[in-house]
Amino acid sequence: MALDIEFIAHILNSTFRLMTPILLVALGSAVCNRVFIFNIGLEGMMLTGAFFAIVANYYTGSVLISLLAAMGSAMFVSWIAGIFMVKFKGAMLVVGISVNVLMLGATTFLMQLFFGVKGAFVHKDLVSLPKVNVEFLKGTKFFYTLFGSLTYLDYFAVILAIILYFYMFKTVSGFRLRSIGINKEAANSIGVDGDKIQIGAIVFSGLLSGLGGALLSMGAVTMFVQNITSGRGFMAMAAGSLGSAHPIGVVFASTFFGLAQTLSNVLDNQFLSSELMIATPYVATIVALAIFNYSKIKKGGKITNI
Amino acid sequence: MFLKMEHIYKNYGDILANKDVDLDLKKGEILALVGENGAGKSTLMKVLYGLEEATSGKIFLNGEEVYINGPSSAIKLGIGMVQQHFMLFNSFTVTENIVYGREPKGKLFFDMAKARQDVIDLGKKYDLPLDPDAVIEGMPVGLRQRVEILKVLYQNTDIIIFDEPTAVLTPQEVTELLKTMKNLSKMGKSIILITHKLNEVMEVADRTLVMRSGEKVGELMIKDTNIKELSYLMVGRHIVDKQVEKVETGETVFESIDLTLTDNKVSVLDNVNIHVKRGEIVGIAGVSGNGQTELVETIFGLKNCTSGKVIVNGEDVTNTSVMNVRNKGVALVPEDRNVHGSAALGTLTENSIMGFYHKDEFSKNGIIDYKVASQFTDELIEEFKVVAKNNKQTMSSLSGGNSQKLIIAREISQHSSFLIVSEPTRGVDIGAMEFIHNKLFEKRANKDGILLISSELTEILKLSDRVYVMYEGEVKGEFTRETANEEEIGFLMLGGNKDEV
Repeated sequence: MALDIEFIAHILNSTFRLMTPILLVALGSAVCNRVFIFNIGLEGMMLTGAFFAIVANYYTGSVLISLLAAMGSAMFVSWIAGIFMVKFKGAMLVVGISVNVLMLGATTFLMQLFFGVKGAFVHKDLVSLPKVNVEFLKGTKFFYTLFGSLTYLDYFAVILAIILYFYMFKTVSGFRLRSIGINKEAANSIGVDGDKIQIGAIVFSGLLSGLGGALLSMGAVTMFVQNITSGRGFMAMAAGSLGSAHPIGVVFASTFFGLAQTLSNVLDNQFLSSELMIATPYVATIVALAIFNYSKIKKGGKITNI
Repeated sequence: MFLKMEHIYKNYGDILANKDVDLDLKKGEILALVGENGAGKSTLMKVLYGLEEATSGKIFLNGEEVYINGPSSAIKLGIGMVQQHFMLFNSFTVTENIVYGREPKGKLFFDMAKARQDVIDLGKKYDLPLDPDAVIEGMPVGLRQRVEILKVLYQNTDIIIFDEPTAVLTPQEVTELLKTMKNLSKMGKSIILITHKLNEVMEVADRTLVMRSGEKVGELMIKDTNIKELSYLMVGRHIVDKQVEKVETGETVFESIDLTLTDNKVSVLDNVNIHVKRGEIVGIAGVSGNGQTELVETIFGLKNCTSGKVIVNGEDVTNTSVMNVRNKGVALVPEDRNVHGSAALGTLTENSIMGFYHKDEFSKNGIIDYKVASQFTDELIEEFKVVAKNNKQTMSSLSGGNSQKLIIAREISQHSSFLIVSEPTRGVDIGAMEFIHNKLFEKRANKDGILLISSELTEILKLSDRVYVMYEGEVKGEFTRETANEEEIGFLMLGGNKDEV
């Protein structure tokens, strides 16, 4: 293993690329946490976005329409889930798991229906997300590798985190959003519609999940694979929680998971059994959550959400 | 006439909560709306504040008919409500809570500086000073209520509804609140006060409207009436103030020696030394949250103490199990009847044997004899006058007073020598309260010991033969029935010291 400077750039680059899909969804999860919604259906919503991005991509060949399809489809699913959770007061866990199971089955089925294939779908006409041009960095290898093959959506994810920070903590609307998670009844008593804000948050998390999904199916690779998300939605939930539902905290938590995935990939190529290495990000999730909550308990704080 | 409600009807299914109620309110007037729990006074106010929609009836403001379909439309019309259960955001600051719903805004962002200044100005205007940056969590109840009041005033309301505002306050805080109400009415605000505490009504109100079973049964000017007349109207019969008879005390049934509990380095109980003798009711006075809950939990085995001893009937039961403590002769009526006192979805029968189901009379070889249990429940229901259809209905279908009666019935029926009752009459109406108090006196006459924890000072003073005052986990003073008085106890409850009295 060559631990040279280019290798480090490669690791950082990979961490960033693997981090952003999680970050987008984790921001959605954070918004849900803020309104006291435990949205376990993010995985399914992400999968929905990944799939419909490819469907739109195949039929139109337009990146913009693909992204819109990803967001729209995931928002629709999350809206239904939101209605069930908030209006019908369905158990959040049950609704969320239903979304996950349903969308895994539905995308697998629809893949066969639309494309007539099982397992994976690739096609030469599929367009991928445009990459940010870094030709001008070609002189310095380190930066060239570091910023290479990144899409605009990757940068957008980080910018969005900053925007969300200002939204949550500086605007009136964000103030009301946070208030719902603290005491929905009190909000209702002043005439602020808690249900509406909660459903809005769920739909927004759907939108971000759709984007995160599109980043998976049109980012580094351009294809749809059955269960392409493989637990990233859950990791995003963990990141949302680990980052204390604070947008900036969520960036750091997501980076941690991005790094875990990178290491899993790198180590997989180097040594040890691959099955073991594939488990790395998931083990990291559990360990991180456990340490985080333990330190919280020690400080005498209360455990929220997870 | 400023506000007028006419022919208000409200039914929930086949239950009529309001039946042809009229109400009017003048500017700057304090109107007391009195009645027992379930008399329909809260329902009437919920209709006015838009939390409930009336089945039929009209509301007029300044002679014009208005339609109120939610709190926000009530607020727009200048009607605000200080809720009984505070509607506050505990992790937000005072400022954030007060401006909520009508936040000052710059072009893009929440204008916190202006909000803060508004809150300071508002506090000055109504003489209700508050630290605008304090976080609600950790604030005393009286101040939290002040936040609620300022919140309503911030919305520019002319009519303020107070829903049982004094239920959670200390005597000093009550005096303060009543003064605030008078002050607000002088400044032109009209006030509707929902309460069942008649002495407060006499002190502060101009007029009163008495409700019973959903109907208006009387409307009187305060200067023309008295507590006796009002309570008669409220309950529909005369409440007799019973003379408490003396009971000879016997041996000690319960004793705590230097009981100390530290939680996360915070001292929750600090060397508590108290005892209860047979034939004695011992009250613990204190603002809620000063260690009473933890005291009960440590005695009963729900929490382990850090040091000290709990002695029941001469035996050391410190840090043993609840089952062991119960077997040694302790019974408990917990503070929160819904969370700890009963199982909401269980039947009355199940709730009546809860905690005692393992006794031989109720079960053999792990199988419950429901026939016996059911019969036993019927007896309790009859003896304690619980209003219920049958013993198979769920606990949640009973009203608060009736479920409390059943819980007390369960705990008394086992003839334990030591009974702990925590907030036995919280949210219970006068009739049920009188009944519960009499049952406690009966148990005392049976030569059992009772430890009474209550944040209602009047209840403590009425029932207790001895009173301990708790403040921040410490016993601050001890009084006998003869030496106990409201001022001195109230002073200690707020952290005063005995030698300063």
